[in-house]
Amino acid sequence: MPNRLSATFAALADPTRRAILSRLTAGEASVTDLAKPFDLTLPAISKHLKVLQRAGLIERGRRAQWRPCRLNADPLKEVADWTQRYRRFWEQRFDRLDEYLREIQAKEKKPAHPKGKRHGRRKR
Amino acid sequence: MTPRSKPTTPEAKPALVITRVFDAPRALVWKAWTEPERVARWWGPKDFTAPAIKIDFRVGGKYLYCMHGPAGSPFDKDFWSTGVYEEIVPMQRIVATDSFADALGNVVPASHYGMPGDLPLEFRVTVTFEDDDGRTKLTLTHEGLPAGEQSEGASAGWNQSFDKLAESLR
Repeated sequence: MPNRLSATFAALADPTRRAILSRLTAGEASVTDLAKPFDLTLPAISKHLKVLQRAGLIERGRRAQWRPCRLNADPLKEVADWTQRYRRFWEQRFDRLDEYLREIQAKEKKPAHPKGKRHGRRKR
Repeated sequence: MTPRSKPTTPEAKPALVITRVFDAPRALVWKAWTEPERVARWWGPKDFTAPAIKIDFRVGGKYLYCMHGPAGSPFDKDFWSTGVYEEIVPMQRIVATDSFADALGNVVPASHYGMPGDLPLEFRVTVTFEDDDGRTKLTLTHEGLPAGEQSEGASAGWNQSFDKLAESLR
C-alpha cells in the first residue's frame, strides 16, 4: 500500500477537487452535475474524479450510463487524525515554551525590577 | 462547507494552524525560538528533554533537534528532527521544512520512530511573531508536502483547510 495519507493530501491539494467533495457531502451526483459549477470540460472533470477515486475519496456506481459519484469519508478521517496528532505535539511544546518564558522572566525580574509587574521591555 | 462559485481560486487555509499568546515581549519569544540553548529548555512535550539542539540560523541553513522522552516510558529514546530554513524575517517570521531524521541529520520516514509510515517525509512549518499589547502572539502553521511526483503544485504544499473539510465530513 503506497502512502495512502499522502495520496489523500495530494488529492485534496486541488481546489476543484475539494469543491467536488464538498458537493458530494450533499449526496451522490453524476459527472454532469458535478461539472456544472465549474468552468471545465467533462474530460477535465473526469480527470479530477479519477484522482479522487484513486485516493479512495470517492466511489463510482457501476450502472452503465449514469455512474453516480459517492463520497467515501474514511481517508478524510485519517487526515483528521493526522491533524489532531500534530496539534497535540505543538500544543505540548507551546505549554513548555510558556513555562520557560514565565520562569526566565521571573528570574530576570527579581533583581532588576522588584516591584515591576512584568519584564521591562514592553513593545507595541 | 458549501461548493464555491469560483472553485479554481486556491484557498490559502493551511493544514493546521495553532495560535498562542505568550506573556513575554516579542524579542524574548524570538530568542526562545531561535537560540539553541533556549530552545533546549522547552522543545518537546512535558517531561521530555532536548539533548541536542543545533541551529544554523540563515536561509538555506539547517537545524537538527533531538528530544528524548521520560525514562521508562515508550518515548525513552532520541527523536531527531531536521529541516532547512526557507525564510527568515527577524522578529517576525520563520519558514522551515520539518522532517524526522536520524542522529546524523538524514531524513527518515515516520516509521523509523514507530509512527504510521504513511506520513509524508517533509512538512513545512511557518511561525509568525506579533506584538499583542506587551505580549506576543505566535501563529504556527504546519503543512505536509506531498512527495513530488504526486503533486500538481508541490510548491503549494497541502496548504488546505483539511481540518474543516474533515470536520464537515465526520
